Amino acid sequence: MNDQLAEVEIDVFELAQRGEEVPHAKKYRVRIDCETVTVDTPEPKGAALLTKVGKRPCAFELIAEFTHCENRVIEPGETVDLRQRGLKGFLTAHKEIVTIFIGGPENPFQIERGEHTVAQVLAKVDKTTDGYVLLEEKDGHPPLPVPPNMPVKICGCEMFYTQPQSGGSS
Amino acid sequence: MAYSEVQIEELKGYCKKVGALTELGIDLLYLEALRLPAGCTPEVCDALLCPVAKDGYSSRLYFSQQINGRFARNWNGTVRIGEKNWYAFSWKVELSAPTLAQILLAHLNGFAKEK
Repeated sequence: MNDQLAEVEIDVFELAQRGEEVPHAKKYRVRIDCETVTVDTPEPKGAALLTKVGKRPCAFELIAEFTHCENRVIEPGETVDLRQRGLKGFLTAHKEIVTIFIGGPENPFQIERGEHTVAQVLAKVDKTTDGYVLLEEKDGHPPLPVPPNMPVKICGCEMFYTQPQSGGSS
Repeated sequence: MAYSEVQIEELKGYCKKVGALTELGIDLLYLEALRLPAGCTPEVCDALLCPVAKDGYSSRLYFSQQINGRFARNWNGTVRIGEKNWYAFSWKVELSAPTLAQILLAHLNGFAKEK
């Protein structure tokens, strides 16, 4: 019986609604917000589930929904048991404190979501607008300078770089 | 003067296409649809990068039109190249042995610095 079940795709939500146990399977259909995604392990990490709906932990959190108990936030590195009883699916929510990167993906910094000044972003790396230009990388293109008198909109996951001031009007 | 392929490739990240144009013995780089920093109008325009000394500047970046940015700039250079007018603002770049992309970025920084 188990061998037969291993061939099928299991809908986690449907079984939770019926109060049934989630059997072993090769693939699991999971609801995340309004999307249904397929996961090929019964114990994915939180970050992997977010990725399935095109979201990243630097901007979003993942929340597990249950039929019998309160919702629970799943950390990006936390393993979720998709076979646990009552798991209906997941929600995502925009974080209030998000992560930005300054100087490469290996340099994360926490910051409140919303508008900031260039000076506030530079201050994260102990730099000022007097000596440095803030550059932002967007849409896979090389980073471009951000004028210091322009608000910087932070939604999470932004990638910034700094560069010493290297020119001036003559 | 030939520019290194690696440096040309790096420039391509900033625009749609990179071409070459020789004017008065200077090899200029034609940057089609160059992306401009946030706050610029237009957001994209064609440009010519002159990575060598010209008109008293160590390098120059000419635009196909004058750009409105967050700071007023002194547009003091108009040249006619390839049957088109090109415009440059007064901006001195001081970098030692820069790559083409570093020169370009230093000129684009001119839109992100008050003085």
